[in-house]
Amino acid sequence: MKKKLLSALIMVMLSISLVACGGNQMNSDSDSTQSQTDNENASEEIITIHVFTGLADRKTGTGLIEEILFEQYMKENPNIKIEVEALDGETYKTKFKAYATSSEMPDLLGVWGQPAFINEIIDAGLLAELNPEDYKDYGFVKGALDGFSKDGKLYGLPRSTDIMGFYYNKAIFEENGWEVPKTYNELIELAGKIREAGLIPVSMDGADKWPLAIYLNDLIAKIDGDNGDKISQSIANGDFSDPTYKKAAELLRKSVEAGLFQNGFETTDYATAFNLFANGQAAMYYMGNWEMSIATNPDVLPEIRENIGVFAMPEVEGGKGKVTDIAAWNGVGYSISANSPVKEEAIKLLNYMMKPENLSKLTWQNGVGMSAQDYSGYLTGDETVPQKIFTNILMEATSITGTPINDLGTSAFKTVCEDLCQELAIGAITPEEFIQKLEEATK
Amino acid sequence: MKKLYSNKWIILSLVIPGIITFVFAILTPILLSLYYSLTDFAGIGKANFIGFENYKNLIKDKVFWVSLRNSLFLALGFIFIQHPIAIITAAILDKLQGKAEGFFRTIYFIPNVISVAIIAYLWKFIYNPNFGLLNNILKLFGYTNEINWLGKGMAIWSVIIVLIWHGFGWGMLIYYAGIKNINPILYEVAAIDGADAKTTFLKITLPLMKPVIQVNVTLAIIAALKQMETVYLLTNGGPGNETQFLANYLYKQAFNSFKYGYGNAISVVFIIICLASTIILNKIFSEKEYA
Repeated sequence: MKKKLLSALIMVMLSISLVACGGNQMNSDSDSTQSQTDNENASEEIITIHVFTGLADRKTGTGLIEEILFEQYMKENPNIKIEVEALDGETYKTKFKAYATSSEMPDLLGVWGQPAFINEIIDAGLLAELNPEDYKDYGFVKGALDGFSKDGKLYGLPRSTDIMGFYYNKAIFEENGWEVPKTYNELIELAGKIREAGLIPVSMDGADKWPLAIYLNDLIAKIDGDNGDKISQSIANGDFSDPTYKKAAELLRKSVEAGLFQNGFETTDYATAFNLFANGQAAMYYMGNWEMSIATNPDVLPEIRENIGVFAMPEVEGGKGKVTDIAAWNGVGYSISANSPVKEEAIKLLNYMMKPENLSKLTWQNGVGMSAQDYSGYLTGDETVPQKIFTNILMEATSITGTPINDLGTSAFKTVCEDLCQELAIGAITPEEFIQKLEEATK
Repeated sequence: MKKLYSNKWIILSLVIPGIITFVFAILTPILLSLYYSLTDFAGIGKANFIGFENYKNLIKDKVFWVSLRNSLFLALGFIFIQHPIAIITAAILDKLQGKAEGFFRTIYFIPNVISVAIIAYLWKFIYNPNFGLLNNILKLFGYTNEINWLGKGMAIWSVIIVLIWHGFGWGMLIYYAGIKNINPILYEVAAIDGADAKTTFLKITLPLMKPVIQVNVTLAIIAALKQMETVYLLTNGGPGNETQFLANYLYKQAFNSFKYGYGNAISVVFIIICLASTIILNKIFSEKEYA
């Protein structure tokens, strides 16, 4: 008995030590590849660059353009292997933070050049510094790199210029004899008429909350005109006593009461809000220019996608802002992980992608958005209606808001601010309470 | 053999895997949580020790209390709505016999087999005020008001109904197994004595099911407290924070607001509440057994 047990014990010990050896073997293997990639003369070795991107759709839109560029790059550099992990919007941000907490980041990262997202990551030293000299000839528009810079150092590059606007269904408008509203009151009036016709006036993604915050920011711009960095100041000082904020809040609440958005907008998520418009159930859709590819999206019915118009948030009566004071910013972009074992290679890949003739040109000519670079050299004359209008809106802009209010503070402020915008919109809190709680959130 | 077991080293070697698992997978995380709950750790960067600041804020945090209240609502919903129905259904299933028994048993368990993500989206569409199934059914009966099921004031009830519906199969299955374990002779004897279905259920089934009920109720309360995934996918606590639940709120604070320390404070309180409710439940049930 004793012998049997002993031999069994020895067997167990042996197998454990064997497993341990195996583990060691594997560890030393990966160690050696790592040191090889660190080595300069590793040209024959396959170098894997891990890309983490917030564009889950790899078949259309900017996701497709990323894929095209990665393919090209791998063809030109046979020793590079690019592995992509893609998640959508909010899920992406969550996973990104999980990565950030574990300090094991992929090499090339999709980021938002906005304080609420990027500041904490920069402060933790997770992003690699880029050399601004490299991008002198890249044609980035004025101020585009600001959001990706901190204390004079550059940590990322913007991929797009984002502009908010109302997409509208021209066919529905024409059938009913509706006009594009010139003022905000006209928009509210129009909403009543659209409701009478049994349609949803404006499809709104209220579940994700940030579109509501941007909407509020858009209203602030129309009330105030060019207000410089007033909102940043208000957040820094915890002082929202400026009447603009309350007026914008009242206007948002009034719009909801007038039935501007669909019933249950606060529980309608991104995809559902988009579909309400794309299926013709809603006459308008408040969203950014990154959805301009709706005009060529094969999943959208032709009678809808060929009849899409766009207009910017109309002027607010009594407001100082003009229709050309627009809600726009350079939000999304890319950064490189500071601790990446293949940092140099990842930066090379980034620089390749961001060359004007690559991402900027492809983005424009595929009608999926507007880059943060000067793309005027790539106009083809065959642009879709939303492309033309958004370009016009941007060209004629007298001021742009920059990063919207929810993204101007810390990430804790962002959460509270977005919650408050939703609660304000559904009438759970009054505009006065909104202001008061917003001030509390800055503390 | 006896000699072998009196050797302390042998005992140690047999116990150690369990101890290691417990220490590293359960105890260490809890202690780390406790430590981080006393800091202002932001997930990344440095953690500063701030004493009980997080706990003080927690007491003042309205959303925390709303989350706790919602979790309690859900627990009550489980105990007073889901479980009575589950026991009765299980008893009826037991009486059905034959093919019908297997058929209905499967039907009732299906919601548990489907992934939570699909369940959440399914109900999101059912509840949708613009094109949802529920409002369309109501329209057939002449209600043309588009009810916003997940909107202000309604949302928490809509969410609780989904959770009750989703967890029903599990509860029922455990009760069903419990009923199957009751000696059928008891029922035969009762039948000979002229007891009707109601009396047999109340006098035989229910008393003999007491241990099963105890397990099930404890499980239900813990499930209610740690409810997260369905709520996250269905409303993510919205509108505002109306349908916020403890686990989801913890997640939101830690991973959306980057208040990792605060999130850990919530989780510590969360563990205490879970432990306390388990102890209280055990007390209640054990007292009854002696009575």
